Amino acid sequence: MSDKAITYEELSVGYKFPPAIYELSASLVSKYLKAVDSAGDEFVPPLAITACAIAAMTGSFSLPSGTIAIHASQELEFFKLVPIGATIECHIRVAQKITRGKMGMLILELEVFDKGKEKVQSGRATIALPT
Amino acid sequence: MLTEIQEGKALNPVVKHITQEKINLYAEASGDFNPIHVDESFAAKTPLGGTIAHGMLNLAYVSEMMTSAFGRGWSSEGKLRAKFKEPARPGDTLTINGKIGCVEQKDDVSYANCSFECRNQKGETIVTAEAIVKF
Repeated sequence: MSDKAITYEELSVGYKFPPAIYELSASLVSKYLKAVDSAGDEFVPPLAITACAIAAMTGSFSLPSGTIAIHASQELEFFKLVPIGATIECHIRVAQKITRGKMGMLILELEVFDKGKEKVQSGRATIALPT
Repeated sequence: MLTEIQEGKALNPVVKHITQEKINLYAEASGDFNPIHVDESFAAKTPLGGTIAHGMLNLAYVSEMMTSAFGRGWSSEGKLRAKFKEPARPGDTLTINGKIGCVEQKDDVSYANCSFECRNQKGETIVTAEAIVKF
């Protein structure tokens, strides 16, 4: 990931966040399962993978001071099981950027691939930014 | 896992209690440290008036229900669409109810369409979701 976070104002349609690579280690998955209060098996919960993808985006973009970002909706499609210990690569691009009065809205498309470049999941997140 | 998949069948409900500790754990696990989730003094000054749970934490409970009902088919070939209607806050108890709305067949493959509603203890809708899974 880039050292310098892009600002909300700098984001434009088509912008691709720097791809982020995660190793879905047993300890990371265990921490996730504890947080969501759920039991697991030898595969990574699909929403743990989504969480990594979203973190890749939030970690590389900064909001104006005092602004909050609210997750308004989420669409996801899962394509394959991901074993614990696998490495994934997350890609996120800005599909739409809408401003209505004091409300900003970002629609982001995400794709996650495994080490063999096979698609693991894709999705679309809508983030509302009341300014 | 469900032994019988039929239209109108209710899925086993999930009840979860939201605490700031769980929100903080989710922030650590996901890497999402947005202050609206973890910084109580920051969050108190926003229109939300306090910290809220990550939407994806609430949605994880829907995914848990789908995994319980459909097993690995959910994680390997599922589709999910969710709207976050209201924030869940520390102290809330969330109840997630779901049911199989319809069962369809396409090219000899069966699909279950499920709908979910996550409500807090006041009856407010926190998340609505729809999911499709092959079985």
